Amino acid sequence: MNKETAYWMSLAHELPAWSFSNQSGWKNEDKINLIIQFYYEKKMTIEVFFSLSKEVWKTEFLLSEQRIAELQTCKLTIANYSFLAENMESSGIEAVPLISQDYSKTLKENLKKSAPIVLYIKGNKQIMSEESVAIVGSRDASDIALQFTDNIAKSVSEKYKVIVSGFAKGVDKQALDSSIACRGQSIIVLPQGIMTFESGFKTYYKQIIEGDVLVLSVFHPKAGWGKDLAMARNSIIYGLAKEIYVAEAKPSINRQGKETKGGTWTGVVDGLKKGRTIYVRQPENSEKNDNKILIQKGAIAVDNKGNVILKDSSKYVQKIFSF
Amino acid sequence: MNRQQAELLLQQNFKLPKFYDEQWKTIDRVLNGGRVLLIEKTGFGKSLCFQFPATVFNGTTVIFSPLIALMRDQEKKLQSLGIAAKCINSEQTPEENSQIIEEAKRGKIKILYIAPERQENNEWIEATRQMHLSMVVVDEAHCISVWGHDFRPAFKRIINLVKLLPKGLPVLATTATATKRVEQDIAQQIGGGITILRGNLMRENFKLFVAKVNSEDEKMIWLGKNIEKMPGSGVLYTGTRIDTEIYSKWFNYLNINSTAYNAGLDANSRIAIENGLMKNQWKCIISTNALGMGIDKPDIRFIIHTQIPQSPIHYYQEIGRAGRDGETAYIILFYNPNEDKKLPEAFIEGGRPSIKKYEKVIECIKTGLFSEREIIKHTNLKQSQFRVIKADLLEQGIIREVNYSHSKKYEFVPNSQSLNTKAFEELRAAKTKDLEQMIEYIDTTDSRMKFLCDYLGDNTNHVFTNCDNTGEKKIKVIVADEWTAKLQEFRENYFSELVVESRDSNIINGVAASYYGVSNVGDAIHRSKYENGGDFPDFLLRLTLKAFRKKFGNEHFDLILYIPPTKSGDLVKNFAEKLSQVLKITISHNLKKVRETKEQKIFENNYLKHENVSNAFSYISPSEIIGKKILLFDDICDSCATIKEIGKLLTNLGAIKIAPIVIAKTVGGDLV
Repeated sequence: MNKETAYWMSLAHELPAWSFSNQSGWKNEDKINLIIQFYYEKKMTIEVFFSLSKEVWKTEFLLSEQRIAELQTCKLTIANYSFLAENMESSGIEAVPLISQDYSKTLKENLKKSAPIVLYIKGNKQIMSEESVAIVGSRDASDIALQFTDNIAKSVSEKYKVIVSGFAKGVDKQALDSSIACRGQSIIVLPQGIMTFESGFKTYYKQIIEGDVLVLSVFHPKAGWGKDLAMARNSIIYGLAKEIYVAEAKPSINRQGKETKGGTWTGVVDGLKKGRTIYVRQPENSEKNDNKILIQKGAIAVDNKGNVILKDSSKYVQKIFSF
Repeated sequence: MNRQQAELLLQQNFKLPKFYDEQWKTIDRVLNGGRVLLIEKTGFGKSLCFQFPATVFNGTTVIFSPLIALMRDQEKKLQSLGIAAKCINSEQTPEENSQIIEEAKRGKIKILYIAPERQENNEWIEATRQMHLSMVVVDEAHCISVWGHDFRPAFKRIINLVKLLPKGLPVLATTATATKRVEQDIAQQIGGGITILRGNLMRENFKLFVAKVNSEDEKMIWLGKNIEKMPGSGVLYTGTRIDTEIYSKWFNYLNINSTAYNAGLDANSRIAIENGLMKNQWKCIISTNALGMGIDKPDIRFIIHTQIPQSPIHYYQEIGRAGRDGETAYIILFYNPNEDKKLPEAFIEGGRPSIKKYEKVIECIKTGLFSEREIIKHTNLKQSQFRVIKADLLEQGIIREVNYSHSKKYEFVPNSQSLNTKAFEELRAAKTKDLEQMIEYIDTTDSRMKFLCDYLGDNTNHVFTNCDNTGEKKIKVIVADEWTAKLQEFRENYFSELVVESRDSNIINGVAASYYGVSNVGDAIHRSKYENGGDFPDFLLRLTLKAFRKKFGNEHFDLILYIPPTKSGDLVKNFAEKLSQVLKITISHNLKKVRETKEQKIFENNYLKHENVSNAFSYISPSEIIGKKILLFDDICDSCATIKEIGKLLTNLGAIKIAPIVIAKTVGGDLV
């Protein structure tokens, strides 16, 4: 048990967030900068930081009056979070703050100052330090995309790497099922608060206690499922993985009935912008999806087994990479 | 806030003139955000040490208390002072609890009492997200420690919570009974630079006596003869639930105004008795140790034990409720050297199931996510055994208890340590030593109060003159023939009730002619059933007929049915025939088994006993039953699961009354 869990939870969830309508709010980066100041530069625990006076916050940390007031309000919620933290930890859920040795290094490297302040996990946390591969794609994936997912998941598991997937229908579920079927290891990244995942914990009880599944969420532990959370979760999936495979990117219909590019598309485009290497399954000509466009945008085409297809060759060429 | 300012507020809000120095020392630390462990004797005024600061703070003070009676009592007192105090507990309806939670969220409650188990409740956890919390109190903090006399696993979670609380949030832990070892254990578990404040534990207003006797009869006779002569009202502690019943009936037989209390009673009965105790409705409450802690009655004038507790700390705790008003209170302990050590020894020795049973539970939990009921069914363990195992496995971090949609399940903790049996051995050795100390208390020729104080780590030099070793007259039990005869007559006319009534059945509470296992009745039944001793002897028939007359008088029954046995041939049938002849009630042989059942005694818990007999019986000519009053006979009843099952069957077939009668009821199950 980490006696500072409630402090980290308050810091993660109780400061007013930056938005277009609240531009003075806290960006994730602001929180990380503060953590760097007190933890890494001044070698101070979060408990000590929160016990400092307003004056010290002002003079030593150069915080504005508004930020100080917000931190004070945040501080008042620590006692409340203690109750939630105890309840959570007694259920086997652990809060892993950014400064923890257990925090995924891959996630930190990939997301940098966008890395979540706290990861909420249940299961074998060792999995986070293994080589990991994300398999992503549409909820409404075709059979061929599901077959691709199965192929990649099995191949990855055989090489003792970890599959990272969201907990959605289609590709996500296939990736998880295939990994479990061959006793591989998986990280389930939730689009909701971890304490709302009861049915999942029941379903994957055996895999969790046997160390094959880690459930992870970055949201408030009591947050219910939401589309915005599902979208935000995608960057965590990408961030947790060293390699990313896209089975199928398909447009989806939003609440207004309009066709949008969907989460997979957004995630891949964002990943490409950040310079991530992303493998996209080469679609057949008859397929109606966005895989081809993503390949044109810079993703690497792979065949149904995950082998890279070189642009200047019509033949399959075995990619020199290691799963 | 200084003491002067605080005492002004004290006068206004609590109508009390001033604090004791020790109270102020505690309050001052708490007001400054400190963590304090306060060990003070009962009656000192520990509650004020959190109630007063709670009224000073802006938000809500949460008090974890294991004692519903205490919660209710303190809530009432605070409300009478105009202080917004409420309690949430399992004996209130969910609607009542939800209402209180809503009030707490809106900041309408200053002092909120809750049971430690509430930390498992989602609604409560949701509420804590919105409450303005100002302080956390852990009452009866000795429950934190396995080295104490009343370790409660739910307190483990409270300790975890306290560890997570932010620095500067005041935490107060209080207890009236902690040895040095327990004190250190609590302080170490709570941590966070806790200050320990320990007062003296002596109770000079006690008059302590030990009466050595040679039999249970001597205890019963002395009490029968003398209890009315004791001043005021008090509590008689027995070792088992059955003894509360027997002593209570004995006193009633002697027209001594008394009532029995134990954990087996429903909440309403317990509340009614607690209220009656406060109003001196009875001369004496006869209780197991389920009653006591937390009863805030100032004028309990005597506390008598018919059975030695497991340790001096148990004893100090139980007698602690007497004489809170500072007036004289009589404290008597009966001890039969030939018999009375057996019960606490059994608690110590038999308190822990075998290691094999622990392994069985671990293996079961590894195979899936199960509830307590499911594990008990899978492992064929008694509920009480499972609970001991569960508490140990939780304590050792091998399993965890998780709430899934209002249902508690047990999870295996991956990579947890293997079962540490050394810890059990250490605990057993410590408990054995404690029991030896209890015997030493009985045998000491020095001051008994000094003995208790020394044991609790309160090494006082005070010279006591308040026990039968230091000036008070010793109790001598003299048994007159007249009283022996009275007791004999009582024993011949006392029959135990079979409590089987339920809403969905026309079965009524029945009667058992005796207890199996504690009398010659048990031996006689055993010989017939298991040693080819032939039919049940005639003295059992006479006894059963007497029990029938006592319970049912001249009530008319249309039919006698008997429960078809699993193994013991025609014993039950033959006995029922004899009953039928004497009582002139027609016997029917039409109650049959439709499938094979196993002997109920092989099942350790009620779930499996119920399953074993569920839908196992039928009646050959059901029309015979319609509108009939039926006497239902069996030889022995343990859980009464079979009787209840047949009660339901006969109800469904149209019987208007089913009255069970058995030769003997087993002694077992829950003791307190």
